[in-house]
Amino acid sequence: MSVSSETPAATADGVTSTLTPDDIRAALDGLLERRTDQTRLTSMGAGSDDLDDGRAYLAATVDGGWHVPTWPSNHGGRDASVAENQLIGSVLREYVVPDLYPFAIGLGMVGPALLAHGTEEQQDRWLRPIASGAEIWCQMFSEPEAGSDLANVALSAAEDGDVWRLDGQKTWTSRAMWSKWAICLARTDPDQPKHKGLTMFVIAMDAPGVDVRPLRQMNNDAHFSEVFVDGAVVPDAWRVGDVGEGWRVAMTILSHERAGAGSRGGGDGAKRGSRIPTWIADLAALGALDDPIGTDAARRDEAMSIYAADMASRWTAQRAADEARSGGSPGPAGSGAKLRTVSSYKRRAYLANRSAGAAGMLEDGHGYIETVTAPSMSIRGGTDEIQRNILGERVLGLPGEPRLDRDVPWRESRRGLL
Amino acid sequence: MTVRTAPEPVVVDELITETADRLFGELCTHEAVQAAEDSGEAPDIWDAFCETGFDLIAVPEDAGGSGGTLAEAIEVLRLVGYHSAPIPAAENGILGGWLLAEAGLERPDGLVTVIPPRATEGGWSGGGACSVSLDGDGTAVLNGEAHRVPWARSAEAIVCVCECDGRTTVVSVPTSECTITPLPNMAGEPRDSVSFDGATGRAAPTPDGVDAGALAQRGALSRVALMAGAIEKMCQLTVSYTNERVQFGRPVARFQAVQQHLVWAAQDAALVRMAAEVAAREATRGDAPFEIAAAKLVANQAAARATKACHQAHGAMGMTQEYPLHHFSRRLWSWRKEYGSDAHWSAVLGEMATGVGADGLYPLITSGTAALG
Ligand SMILES: Cc1cc2nc3c(=O)[nH]c(=O)nc-3n(C[C@H](O)[C@H](O)[C@H](O)COP(=O)(O)OP(=O)(O)OC[C@H]3O[C@@H](n4cnc5c(N)ncnc54)[C@H](O)[C@@H]3O)c2cc1C
Repeated sequence: MSVSSETPAATADGVTSTLTPDDIRAALDGLLERRTDQTRLTSMGAGSDDLDDGRAYLAATVDGGWHVPTWPSNHGGRDASVAENQLIGSVLREYVVPDLYPFAIGLGMVGPALLAHGTEEQQDRWLRPIASGAEIWCQMFSEPEAGSDLANVALSAAEDGDVWRLDGQKTWTSRAMWSKWAICLARTDPDQPKHKGLTMFVIAMDAPGVDVRPLRQMNNDAHFSEVFVDGAVVPDAWRVGDVGEGWRVAMTILSHERAGAGSRGGGDGAKRGSRIPTWIADLAALGALDDPIGTDAARRDEAMSIYAADMASRWTAQRAADEARSGGSPGPAGSGAKLRTVSSYKRRAYLANRSAGAAGMLEDGHGYIETVTAPSMSIRGGTDEIQRNILGERVLGLPGEPRLDRDVPWRESRRGLL
Repeated sequence: MTVRTAPEPVVVDELITETADRLFGELCTHEAVQAAEDSGEAPDIWDAFCETGFDLIAVPEDAGGSGGTLAEAIEVLRLVGYHSAPIPAAENGILGGWLLAEAGLERPDGLVTVIPPRATEGGWSGGGACSVSLDGDGTAVLNGEAHRVPWARSAEAIVCVCECDGRTTVVSVPTSECTITPLPNMAGEPRDSVSFDGATGRAAPTPDGVDAGALAQRGALSRVALMAGAIEKMCQLTVSYTNERVQFGRPVARFQAVQQHLVWAAQDAALVRMAAEVAAREATRGDAPFEIAAAKLVANQAAARATKACHQAHGAMGMTQEYPLHHFSRRLWSWRKEYGSDAHWSAVLGEMATGVGADGLYPLITSGTAALG
């Protein structure tokens, strides 16, 4: 147990705040259940369509600003400093915080982006319902022709008085069928080079001209959709950031997505005081770690190697998240965090499934849903290859790939002139 | 020095490859394979398969089979894997059909399946256990449970090998005597639980060399063949998809990072196919415990690598049910665990290697089972 979690937190300017772990527990005890060894949660929503648990949790914590403490207190936060936020986070781990997958775009990406780029009016309208779980958001970035090459989005937004008319198609839009709102990257000027003619909008998912068609995934979830947009009207007041600044806003959002910054919760379920994460406890319960010499030895090695990497990763992610919460965006550090989180998820999934022996082949076998979800982890939110490109180019300063279309009007680069 | 004569070549009739490939190519459309997941059954595909006689290939004609060699049956299974044909081809023929023929037990009219031997199940995985007792006239009475029995729900009879009164015995139980709980594997193929409550069947002793160990090897060989086909197809899908998929103004296959995935997958496809062919050839000639153990281990490891590489190179498209990649990856993840995990066959190979000692290791690698003496 680290010392800092039992002592009052320091605020950003070094003044010791009065908030102690016991204060936080006193506030949370009336709102949330404590975790037990038996607490198990779904992971990234896989295999579950439950919205109620997350909604109840957010509704319970929004008045105290406990889930997004660094957000302003009038928007569902509590103006917490980085240190207070960390303290709250560590105390929250003692409670049952559900898998917040359905709410993750609002909490983790749109919220921080609105705080960074949104108008006061936009913050007033949208932040609190995000924090309270009342309104779910989705992210309409990817298109059939714009996956890794996100700057190639074609969905167009044309100005018409004080509204915009949007036309085009998005795809892989997770949570679209639950969402009230989407954050949508659109092309406002096809005569600019591809990164420059983009603008970010908020679009109401129930607006006329928005058609959501769910797609089924190989893990049997239907959590992502194609979204067809046909003349949907968006008021100019729902534009986030300046016209032509969409790429910059998108980068803020993506770096938050990668760092997983604002979306805490759904931890591993280990009870307070227990050092053993539940995934290891589950392996042990299966009998897969019993024998230190025989075949279990290889599993024990793998489990400990994952555990060690997880600890390093958690501390590094915490540092990146703190930078994000203190106002900055996680930037390329988020890419490193994402690579590590994904690698850990996959290793844990495969180890769990392997450890189940032949029974692991069944659809109700140990580690099944994680195993069939795992391949998507290194794809969603930007593929591993793209994260490594970002680290190579932006952290190490290595030469980039030749990008012939950078300075060519998008309209022409699209026609295949390159 | 003794001069060894070259062994007889094992040839697979090209007509078999062509016929099976054409048959499955026509029947196992993406939609048909997907639809089979709901019930776990694909009667149209099974019936057409039976019409060719492939359902009983390598089962001797005098035992009601279609004749042909084990190598030919393995080639058919490779094509079953290549087309993700949702049928119990291995269970009915070279596993169940073989056991019945060896024991001289009568084949029922319909489909036959097999209980995988416990040895390959992994210690704590709860494979279920059943007891068999015999009475004098060849009647067996079964009590207990068996787990993960392929296509039990579609079968007429369930066949297993067991030790009874000190003799290795094959037992065939009509499914009408059993209670079957349908369960799917990761790919929606039936891996049902079967419970026996005084179920009666027919029993007969086996000739030498036909026992649980031999069934484990045949089972493993059947999975290697299926996996060889599935990896090959997955690899082909990935090469063509990445050559068509354009991002940043070029096909993603032009990115070296993507090419490396393709190369891993291609290597694995070649490796497993070679392992399957060598193991099938040796098993056709005689015993092949070394080649089969090595082949299943190679296939298991390759399946893990190749599914990762192919999914990654596909991006989100590979995650949808609409696109066929998952038919192959989910099967590979399941087959990898069946008839022996990596740990199981590693241990078997390790015992062989330590058994022959330092001087025997190189001959074991170069000559395989022959070097085991
Ligand atoms: C489960 C899931 C949920 C998703 N949810 C959302 C969502 O809510 N909203 C949204 O907007 N999007 C979402 N996505 C889409 C996701 O952002 C894209 O899948 C991702 O950016 C990759 O794009 P792609 O699938 O088109 O793959 P492609 O870009 O076609 O990539 C194919 C392969 O090429 C590689 N590649 C491409 N370019 C390069 C390069 N320059 N260098 C090296 N390798 C390269 C990739 O790494 C990959 O291996 C989701 C995806 C998944 C799987």
